[in-house]
Amino acid sequence: MIYTLRHLTTYRYARPVRFARCALRLHPCDGEGQTVLESGLTISPDPRTRIVRRDYFGLDATVVTIDTPHTELRVEALSRVRVERDPLPAPESGRPWEQVRDEAVNGRGLGPHLPVHFQFPSLRVPLAPEVTDYARASFPPGRSAYGGAFDLMKRIRSDFRFDSKATTVHTPLAEAFALRAGVCQDFTHIMIAALRGLGVPAAYVSGYLRTIPPAGRPRLRGADASHAWVSVWCGESWIGLDPTNGIGMCDDHIVVARGRDYTDVSPIDGMVSASGPQKLKVEVDVVPDGEPMPEHAATPQTASA
Amino acid sequence: MSEAAAADVRGRAERLARWTSAYRPQRGVPDELMDADGRTKGAWPRFLDQLGGMDEVEIGARFVSAVRRIRDTGISYRIYGDKREHAWPLGSLPLVLEQGDWETLSAGIVERAELMETILADLYGAGRLVAEGLLPGAVVAGSPEFMRPLVGVTPPGGRFLKLYAADVTRGPDGRWRVLADRTQSPSGPGYALENRLVLTRAFPDLHADLQVERLAAFFQAFRDGLAVGAQRSDPRICLLTSGVFSSTYVEQAALARYLGLLLVEGDDLVMQDGALHIRTVSGLKRADVLWRRIDSDYIDPLELNPASRLGVPGLVEALRNGNLVVGNMPGSGILEAGALAAYLPGIARRFLGRDLRLAGPKTWWCGDPEALAEIRDSLDGLSLRPVATPPKGAVRDAILAPHALDAERDRLRAALRDRPFDYVAQEAMPLATMPAWDRTGGTLRLVPRPFVLRVFAAATPDGWRVMPGGFCRISERPDVEPLEMRAGIKSADVWILSRDPVEAVSLIQTGPARVRRIAGHLPSRAADNLFWFGRYVERAEAVIRLVVAHLGSVGSAVMADMAGDAKAPTALRIRALLDEWGAIEAPDLPTAALAQQALGGPDAYGSALRHSLSARINAATLRERLSGEAWRALADLKEVLEIDPGQALPEAQLLSLAERALSHIAALSGLAQENMNRTAGWHFVDLGRRIERAINTLTFATRFAGDGASAADLGVMLSLCDSHVSFGARYLQGVALDPVRDMVLLDPFNPRSVAFQLEAVTRHLGQLPVLRADGLPEPHQRVAAKLSAEFAIGEAAEFDGAALTRLENEVEGLADAIATRYFPNGPHALRPEKLVGLA
Repeated sequence: MIYTLRHLTTYRYARPVRFARCALRLHPCDGEGQTVLESGLTISPDPRTRIVRRDYFGLDATVVTIDTPHTELRVEALSRVRVERDPLPAPESGRPWEQVRDEAVNGRGLGPHLPVHFQFPSLRVPLAPEVTDYARASFPPGRSAYGGAFDLMKRIRSDFRFDSKATTVHTPLAEAFALRAGVCQDFTHIMIAALRGLGVPAAYVSGYLRTIPPAGRPRLRGADASHAWVSVWCGESWIGLDPTNGIGMCDDHIVVARGRDYTDVSPIDGMVSASGPQKLKVEVDVVPDGEPMPEHAATPQTASA
Repeated sequence: MSEAAAADVRGRAERLARWTSAYRPQRGVPDELMDADGRTKGAWPRFLDQLGGMDEVEIGARFVSAVRRIRDTGISYRIYGDKREHAWPLGSLPLVLEQGDWETLSAGIVERAELMETILADLYGAGRLVAEGLLPGAVVAGSPEFMRPLVGVTPPGGRFLKLYAADVTRGPDGRWRVLADRTQSPSGPGYALENRLVLTRAFPDLHADLQVERLAAFFQAFRDGLAVGAQRSDPRICLLTSGVFSSTYVEQAALARYLGLLLVEGDDLVMQDGALHIRTVSGLKRADVLWRRIDSDYIDPLELNPASRLGVPGLVEALRNGNLVVGNMPGSGILEAGALAAYLPGIARRFLGRDLRLAGPKTWWCGDPEALAEIRDSLDGLSLRPVATPPKGAVRDAILAPHALDAERDRLRAALRDRPFDYVAQEAMPLATMPAWDRTGGTLRLVPRPFVLRVFAAATPDGWRVMPGGFCRISERPDVEPLEMRAGIKSADVWILSRDPVEAVSLIQTGPARVRRIAGHLPSRAADNLFWFGRYVERAEAVIRLVVAHLGSVGSAVMADMAGDAKAPTALRIRALLDEWGAIEAPDLPTAALAQQALGGPDAYGSALRHSLSARINAATLRERLSGEAWRALADLKEVLEIDPGQALPEAQLLSLAERALSHIAALSGLAQENMNRTAGWHFVDLGRRIERAINTLTFATRFAGDGASAADLGVMLSLCDSHVSFGARYLQGVALDPVRDMVLLDPFNPRSVAFQLEAVTRHLGQLPVLRADGLPEPHQRVAAKLSAEFAIGEAAEFDGAALTRLENEVEGLADAIATRYFPNGPHALRPEKLVGLA
């Protein structure tokens, strides 16, 4: 499947911003069953400096500084990407989770590719006994790591309520867990904390999900959203699991970045010198080849699914 | 021997016996003063013999004077999140050590510091330790102090550590043992310095006679070491503080002052064109060296912890570009991770070819299956703790095993089952004891108390150098469990008694030194604080003068038409203004209660007390720029105004308190005039006072010199401007509107008139740095010049009620224009904001 992606982010400020410094991670990455065919980035106002920085895990971020006073910052990323993934492994296949845990933690070396980096708490994923205890039911002794993680994903899908009003981007993990509600970011962080609580390596994946418009209705412009899911180390490979939808990663998922949590992969991270309130508008289009680019504008989103 | 000398010797012997006769070291616990057989040892006999030359009364008096110095100069520490300051509890006796003992300890410290440096260079560089299996990868990967963005970044000058510290105690065999390594950003050198200053003040002879090693040379070498690696020959060195609410802020300010460093907060700094800059009143200036006193991950919210509001977005880029020296390098804290201690012996053998001279407690990382098997069944005598402090919000599992209850033990076993790699087990190491004063039962005697000694080593251009002294903490309780020392802790100086006479060294350079008349550039934030310091002091004065006017008008017969009448129109106007300023909580209180509240009301946000506290907070952020005398005058002002709200004072007493407060404010002004260098900092303090006084005088004029002002109103106006005497000398016929207006608004010779203030403001602005190169006035200078001219050429009759109100607003506008020009990033203005929301 080939997709055309458009991700437009607009910040509006009540008072002029004199200086901004942002790190942008908005394009799909190569690998993980993906090939990037084209990508482009348009920023207004024009940045004073623009560099690409590769982080510890090999992820590229475009770092820009803007020193033109502005009341609107507009970042538009366009890309075309081909996605061809292997099917998910057979249910309950792979090594027992205890073995996966011990091999990861006692493995020699410290390469950025090693799962040991994903076994410990991180800034947005503190470990909590209640979350670990929730995971336990999915991980009886000897069960395969993949089987346990798949089961955990299904449970989160059924026990948690999708509610974009319940949480914000800053809601702590424990609070979303207690509410049993939230959005993809919350479910992903909770599932990671549950897995890591038992020592199973788990990563945060940011990206996009193709959506199907309701029958008989055209695709609306800007109606899609950025998305997040979990990648679990199952002993031999990383396997993507999407707790928001209760499915494994498939050709509908487009990977942008993988990190320890949202902090490592946030699409736009930045600091501005501002004194007033700011407003954020996000428009995302995920359009499969063969479909026309949507024209009619949808209601813009202020949070992702 | 004369009779008196013999009596002296007898008295000394009796005192020593009284102090030490009941002294008993705890069984099995090493003690500094006595061995197991009760014999005094080490440097203590020499020290106590000298000390015994004084009786208890004299020693007590000297301590009282030392403690007073602490209170007066505000050496204090702050408990995090607590707005009140606490005087640092000074332990009574110094820890005294012999030179030979100290040399052994120092050699061990240097060896350890060198090893720590080698390990850091490896972890952030070649990675051999992990590759060769000397250190498990999980110990590194699992540490929140492993700063991944710093991997592959070589520090300019080649050093990760500029300052290393170790907490040590003495083991049962008499040898020093390390309890913990401090590599993040060790606190305490400033307290060591302050403790020394206090103790040498209390016991100057003792200090000299015993040949105590001095500290100044160490600090000089440390400062030289900070500059190593800087690109410019005369580098600008900053101390990056987390601000006035940090528990060690005062220490940081004291060190900045002592070492001549620029004290900065994250908001003072900005990245531009790949290099770090300081926002100053003269524009952006390069920063070459940063001594960081905030945790690594808070230093850059963009590449490290996004939750940080203390750092500088993009700072890591300057490290990568090699144009900034940061001590200690971000990420150095990883060596404090408990699990590393388990592998230190092996690493030492690999790098040094032998065991460390200073050993630590035996440690097991529970992530290693063999180590876990060794300790799992018997946790007795071991302390079990998390490898690293978990990030905020995570559950903490810090448990000491030795006395853990069965339930706790089960919980720990469960934790070890799920994630054993999060824990280290450590052999419990009891603390050694040293003598401390005890006054229970009314007699002064010495008792053994547990202590921890923090020793510092600095990376200097000539290699590692150990501070000959340190920061010693003594517990007030006798139990020697290896507790983290927090509550009930005293600090003590550390004296190394030299075999040879010591030379006096101070931070005075030898050899040719560059002469400079202008101190460095003033950071915008400091300018902002100085400005507001001036404004708050002046605001306090205005409130006090209103109170004095009210008490005077009501209580005396000076103004016959309103004597004794709190309901007279003038008195009501005073009340209304105090109410409008928030100095009182209700306008209809009885006169004395109202005055008491306006002066010392803790809850009325506009009371003189509250303004003086605000001035103190601004002053606290400037401690490195304020003289001890100024700080003391401010403390006196606060003390006068802190009236017990539960006790209603009579008017006469309140009047005298108000007058005392005014005299302390006058002292502050005098100090600023006489003792502050005429640098940018002084201009801002005085600017603040002048602007505030101009505004307040205009406010007074709209109330008491308006179009229909009565004689009583005009009398109050004169007294608010302290101009009664001059007015009486100039106008014999009594008060009248135009002469009063002329005197308080326009008279260029009256230091209380608005014209005088504005002229001073214009003069100050002319002497401050300019941004424009074309010689044209900047916007705030235009506003000031225009206003000043209006007052210089105006006539009293033109300044009617409407004009006064307009001018009051325009002077407020001038204050805003000054803020916009000089404090674009001060606490009262713009702050960097995080982009929010899921993008």
